[in-house]
Amino acid sequence: MKKYLCLGCGFSYDEARGLPEHGIAPGTRWADIPDDWVCPDCGTPKSRFEMVEIPYFEGEAAT
Amino acid sequence: MSVRFVLPAAERGYSFLPSVGPNASYVAGHPDGAITRHSSFNFGEYQSGIPGFGAMRVFGDEVFMPNGTGYNMHPHHNFIIMAFVLSGTLTHINTIGRIDELGRDDYYVFSAGSGGKHSELNIGEGDLGVIYVWVLPGRLLAPPSYRRARFDRSAGANRITCLVGDEPGALPIAQTFRVSRLVSDAERRYAYRPARPNGLYAFVVEGEVEIADALLTRRDSMAVEGEDQVTIDVRTGGTDVLLVETKL
Repeated sequence: MKKYLCLGCGFSYDEARGLPEHGIAPGTRWADIPDDWVCPDCGTPKSRFEMVEIPYFEGEAAT
Repeated sequence: MSVRFVLPAAERGYSFLPSVGPNASYVAGHPDGAITRHSSFNFGEYQSGIPGFGAMRVFGDEVFMPNGTGYNMHPHHNFIIMAFVLSGTLTHINTIGRIDELGRDDYYVFSAGSGGKHSELNIGEGDLGVIYVWVLPGRLLAPPSYRRARFDRSAGANRITCLVGDEPGALPIAQTFRVSRLVSDAERRYAYRPARPNGLYAFVVEGEVEIADALLTRRDSMAVEGEDQVTIDVRTGGTDVLLVETKL
């Protein structure tokens, strides 16, 4: 399970968490998100996200 | 010395963001106002250049025209966003509850963390010159924070002063990252000692320096890595350099 960060605004997508509030189920792989998907916060295209290996802040429990 | 890249001022990405037109929802201000942005790294439409350096993803050299030009309130997460005011007055509004005015030599560190919005405005009557730096955080979704400070031009004369990072007097940051400033009023040699294996990005605000046989003039920049010590030869008085140290 990987995490991706929007280079336009910093919004983070976590494959483990998905984005249920935006119709993406937990466990959804980045590769399975449509290429025309854009950042829900700033509209930056999916291609402008970067895979990151950054842990969560303590207390912000990962699923 | 291991040089990662040398970036002449004219080879940076360039954006012109008018107050009206396609960016109207993002940029406020007087209809004739605009922001110019010279980007050292990829940003927005500019995608053909250097993607970043270490934890740094944005180094933007921006000029806001006066009378209300700026960025409307917009959201961020995670990125640690810094602004270093070179000239004019920056009005900064954020959702942490801060409305701030920053003048020449003032700077802030806004850590967006779990979510925050900000607006950046020039409501003054002259241009605003400001450097924006965006850094990946050491932890995701940390509590947001905002801190500000001022570079003391007299105490900081003819030495390297740490503005952001883990040194006394500097604004702390949750990342292996430092921003320092070197203002020199004469030709002189300086030494910067990064903690290995960090990299160092040097951006010439004004003046002229030589690093690793590369001559840098106004708004030129370069990055080196793997050095115990970086020698910076200032070639003219009135030189002003920002030095960004980052883990690689």
